[in-house]
Amino acid sequence: MAQPSRWGTPSVFTTAHRSAGEAFRAFFDMRPDEVDQPVAFSHQLHLEKELVCTDCHEGVERGPVAGLPSVNTCLICHSQIATDRPIIQEITAMQEKGVDLAWRRVYGYTREAHVRFEHAPHIRAGVDCSTCHGDMKQQTVARRVVEMDMAFCVNCHKAKQASNDCLTCHF
Amino acid sequence: MAHRWGMVVDLDRCTGCEACVTACHAENNIPTVGAAEAARGRAMHWIRVERYWEGEFPEARLTFRPVLCQQCDNAPCEAVCPTYASHQTDEGLNAQVYNRCIGTRYCANACMYNVRFFNFFHPQWEKPLQLQLNPDVSLREAGVMEKCTFCVQRIKAAKSEARAEERELVDGALQPACAQACPAGALVFGDLNDPESRVARLSESPRGSKLLEEYGAEPKITYLQRQGWHEPDAQ
Repeated sequence: MAQPSRWGTPSVFTTAHRSAGEAFRAFFDMRPDEVDQPVAFSHQLHLEKELVCTDCHEGVERGPVAGLPSVNTCLICHSQIATDRPIIQEITAMQEKGVDLAWRRVYGYTREAHVRFEHAPHIRAGVDCSTCHGDMKQQTVARRVVEMDMAFCVNCHKAKQASNDCLTCHF
Repeated sequence: MAHRWGMVVDLDRCTGCEACVTACHAENNIPTVGAAEAARGRAMHWIRVERYWEGEFPEARLTFRPVLCQQCDNAPCEAVCPTYASHQTDEGLNAQVYNRCIGTRYCANACMYNVRFFNFFHPQWEKPLQLQLNPDVSLREAGVMEKCTFCVQRIKAAKSEARAEERELVDGALQPACAQACPAGALVFGDLNDPESRVARLSESPRGSKLLEEYGAEPKITYLQRQGWHEPDAQ
């Protein structure tokens, strides 16, 4: 966390951006679309084999967080399947050592956005995963393909007559 | 029917232990500012326990009054906000939207209960205290106002859970942190629109009164207090 300046003034540029540089990068959307993941997981490959999103992102129908799979989830199938691949052997070794995959977030909000997103109500309302995450059949390692700005959320909320009160998402 | 969240504070039960204050700080990530800044009026407590001394020693009597946002129906803080950061929701909450707030502090000046607080500083927690922060609640940065939300994150979570299980919300299952922590059960939270709820019944009590009711802000918190109380005779 940034320290206050030597004049004792708060170290914020605006309420949404901590510095002028941060505001500049946000305005021009200078954010990497790709994130380095601990293993090169291919969504395309798994979806072609007729897995569904909820097989690995188990929390999505229940709570706020969809959840990123642990090595144990991988090994439900991969203790039997494709065990000769180096990447699977790596994961098996990780489980034996008791370490887990340090997945990194692809989407997400800045702290200053004050957004509290919940997956479960969206799934219940019949919103398809691809509405917000793009067609994962076209992606190997997950990339940021949908720009989740407030207009994106509000347009859909309007169309589906969901609440557009600020407190629905910002608290 | 839409919910209308309200609270009853039973002053005859309150012992002034300040468990509600501690619970509120922990639940809502409220930063502390240190003694020097607190002396300059920059301390933030979404709920505070006011002390009132009556009479002279040794016949003195001490009473307590927990004061939090009264979630007024006709809130003075909302009318003065130039950005609609402070507004009334459908469920009768006085919402404070941090994204909209530009820190004019008009609302804090308009509020006669002094329950709105301005962030003079960027919130900081000494390590490892940052690990106890509640992930369901925003960290408010310097320059925005904040106030009691009736633990809106808990309201959201309870409603979401009820909807997932396809049932109605049960009275008493949902509590803000202060009411949950109160060992005397002095704070009762619930839906005023549900005539069967405990809070709706208690708010009709003849012991009830509202804080600074005469100013017409129509607060949704009822204070219960035995009327005409006097010290029992010493004999």
